[in-house]
Amino acid sequence: MSLLEALVYGAIIALIFGTILPLLYRSKNTRKASFSLSFFSSILLLAFAGTVLYTGKEPTFPAFGFLPGLNFTMAADRLSAGFILLIAAVVPGVSIYSIEYVEYAKSEARKDIQTVLTNLFILAMLMVVLAGNMVGFLIFWEIMSLSSLMLVLHDYSSEENKKAGIFYFIMTSLSTAFLFMGFISLFRLTGSAEFGHLDYAASILTLPFLCLFIGFGIKAGLVPFHKWLPYAHPAAPSSVSALMSGVMLKVAIYGFLRFLLSVSAPEIWWGVLILIGGSLSAILGVIYAFRESDIKKLLAYSSIENVGIIFTGIGLYLIFKLEGLEGLAMLSLVGASFHAFNHALFKSLLFLCAGSIVHATGTRSIEALGGLIKRMPRTAALFLIGSVSIAGLPPANGFVSELMLFQAYFYSSALQDPLLKVLLIITLSVFALTSALVAALFVKLFGITFLALPRTKCAKEAIEVPQPMLSGEAIPAALCILSGLFSNRILALFGFDFGIPDMLVIGLLLVGVCGFVWLGVRNTGFSKTPRRSKETWGCGILAQHPTMEYSSIGFSEPLIAIFKKIYRPEISSTRTYSDTKECIFKDGTTKIHFPKFFEKYLYLPVAHTVNVISFQVSRMQNGKLGTYVFYVFIAVLTLMTFTRYFA
Amino acid sequence: MITSFLADQALLEDIVRILFVFVLITAAFILSTRNIASLLTVYAVQSFLLTLIAASLYLIEGSEKLLAMAALTLVSKVLLIPLFINVIGEKIKISRDLEFNYLEPTASLLVSMGLIMLSYVFLSGFFDEYVLGKLFFVGAVIGLSLTLMGMLVIFSRKKVMTKVIGYLTMENGVLLFGIFVADLPFVIEILIVIDLMILVLLTTILAIGLDSTKNEYHKRLQTLKIWSGREE
Repeated sequence: MSLLEALVYGAIIALIFGTILPLLYRSKNTRKASFSLSFFSSILLLAFAGTVLYTGKEPTFPAFGFLPGLNFTMAADRLSAGFILLIAAVVPGVSIYSIEYVEYAKSEARKDIQTVLTNLFILAMLMVVLAGNMVGFLIFWEIMSLSSLMLVLHDYSSEENKKAGIFYFIMTSLSTAFLFMGFISLFRLTGSAEFGHLDYAASILTLPFLCLFIGFGIKAGLVPFHKWLPYAHPAAPSSVSALMSGVMLKVAIYGFLRFLLSVSAPEIWWGVLILIGGSLSAILGVIYAFRESDIKKLLAYSSIENVGIIFTGIGLYLIFKLEGLEGLAMLSLVGASFHAFNHALFKSLLFLCAGSIVHATGTRSIEALGGLIKRMPRTAALFLIGSVSIAGLPPANGFVSELMLFQAYFYSSALQDPLLKVLLIITLSVFALTSALVAALFVKLFGITFLALPRTKCAKEAIEVPQPMLSGEAIPAALCILSGLFSNRILALFGFDFGIPDMLVIGLLLVGVCGFVWLGVRNTGFSKTPRRSKETWGCGILAQHPTMEYSSIGFSEPLIAIFKKIYRPEISSTRTYSDTKECIFKDGTTKIHFPKFFEKYLYLPVAHTVNVISFQVSRMQNGKLGTYVFYVFIAVLTLMTFTRYFA
Repeated sequence: MITSFLADQALLEDIVRILFVFVLITAAFILSTRNIASLLTVYAVQSFLLTLIAASLYLIEGSEKLLAMAALTLVSKVLLIPLFINVIGEKIKISRDLEFNYLEPTASLLVSMGLIMLSYVFLSGFFDEYVLGKLFFVGAVIGLSLTLMGMLVIFSRKKVMTKVIGYLTMENGVLLFGIFVADLPFVIEILIVIDLMILVLLTTILAIGLDSTKNEYHKRLQTLKIWSGREE
């Protein structure tokens, strides 16, 4: 066993111990030890993934046979190493954060369960990425889904969480069903459960492709299969939301890439489908996010948007590859993967910060917050780093990956097909719009949450969260900055050179400019002249009041007006008048309601149809032995007739 | 004279064919008879016919296995199982099964004619045309249709006792089919018989609960302290 394999085994064993320990010895220290173990395992994984990515060496693992014809194998190449690196980057922060955060759970049992399931969840995600064949992939995929389902349901007493859990359960089962269909059709084709090259014509692979696209799309939260995200994320504990949004969605993307990269001859419409799906998710994700005032729902929608961006990159990769533009294809693919990595970092950071805010104030509605920068300055600073990264501002990492995708788009004029060119220009403009809207979205989120005056008592009385939680948030925050600053060095280290600008130089330049501005302002002699302290534009107002501030929905109003066609707001108003001829207005209310478009026109009709069918089917099940034997009898007769005449 | 009689293959085959007809007649009886005691007798007669068929086949083919099978059938299906069921019948004091599900006796007789035809058509698909008149083919057809008719009994009759006899008829059909077509190892035949014994034993236990009236059933459960729910 070489060192590489030892690292993986060490990480797996650490995670297994982390899962089992809290069940054996139930105390606070055990929970601490359990999270320390997951931290430790992620350090091992970091070393492993880094080495594999750097050297390109592929370790070999023995296969475990557990049923005749079915065995479980592990394998790691550069693709899986990339996603293991992503897991290893997110888990340390979440582990440290959870040491303190898990203690806020309602009872001892829940604390233990949360610890156990979090470790199991991490282990399952790791094993999905490490799986060398479909059997292991599906088994650990199910464990991953179920452990995260339990975590979503951890506060099962609330009606809302129950609904979220059921919604998540249905969607994730649907995803697994599609994956099974896809994998089974691949298995029928190749006769082997191993992941390997698929040297078949694209027309044969259409069914597996569509099944896997939908299956992984549901799990990744691609529009229109995204609805579970805004339900499940607010219900889950924040550390789990960080893992789900940061890592689990990426595991789905990993699975999809694993399939796509093994196909030797895909077709152009695959790329177009993925590109359109991605662009749609990106733009709708951010537009829907604007509507939200629930901080975790907003972040969930933002995850949908980022998954959209990643899928856009994958679609571009396919299109460029089929058009013979290998360099651009690689740029898009690495851009998409790097964006997945970056999103994992800043989204987990933002979810952890959201967890701190929710814990400190007791509410998820940002309409009730405000002024938290004075009360929780460190959380505010960390949240700002996350917001800057996700908004794609230099020198943070979000800028770099989005830049790579933009570059791929810009060079697409080399394409020959005019229709594709038009498509790429349209999706480019959608992508650009998305990036701009994201920046506005996080201005809103940060501004409403942290700036100005507290709107309610709970925001006024908030206090900073304890140090372990802050340290947990600091890790992804630091990684966001570092992976941004050293992005081209990191990519060059792993063998990718795309001529991205050196972010370290840009960062220093930015710092320099800020320094000069500061010096310039300071030397104008501001401090020497006597100061007069007055409210600017006070206009006779005695004191500033929170009701004068922008509200979350007020901030979004212009955008809601612009995207009226998408939001379809339903405005209903009631008025009362002082006179009988309805001239003198007395009192009234106006309500703006946003219909849930996909729920109303896609999910509910489907659910209704399934209900009707299952009712009809359930009538066949009447509990009488005679009836069941009758069914068997009819089935036997039908089979006999069928085999005689048709088979 | 007896030896020459036993050596006459054509005659033996004709006898087996006549026995087939008798087997079908017993099956028709089982489908339509309401009296449980006579049902049981008919089942025993059917099993005895199977014994005779196996014995005649032994005379034709000379395989020791067939003789053993005949003996096994005689002991288990003609003697032991009917005896068991008779004991149950006396204990639960139900002597008639009057109701029918889905099919009335006349209709089920018509359906079973259809079943025989379907079995013939189905099996003829697997064999060449020249075997269609051969003994083993006819045996297979009768075996398959007997199995299907047993199934018909299970779902068209109401009382558990009758259902059990339907199941036993099915098994007889399988046995017949096995004798003529599939060459089952003897061990499996023994195992099937043991299964049947266990089935009948289990039925003894269950039937006492199920085939009694509702009040008695509740009373029995309460005295055994299995279930003490509210009275409806």
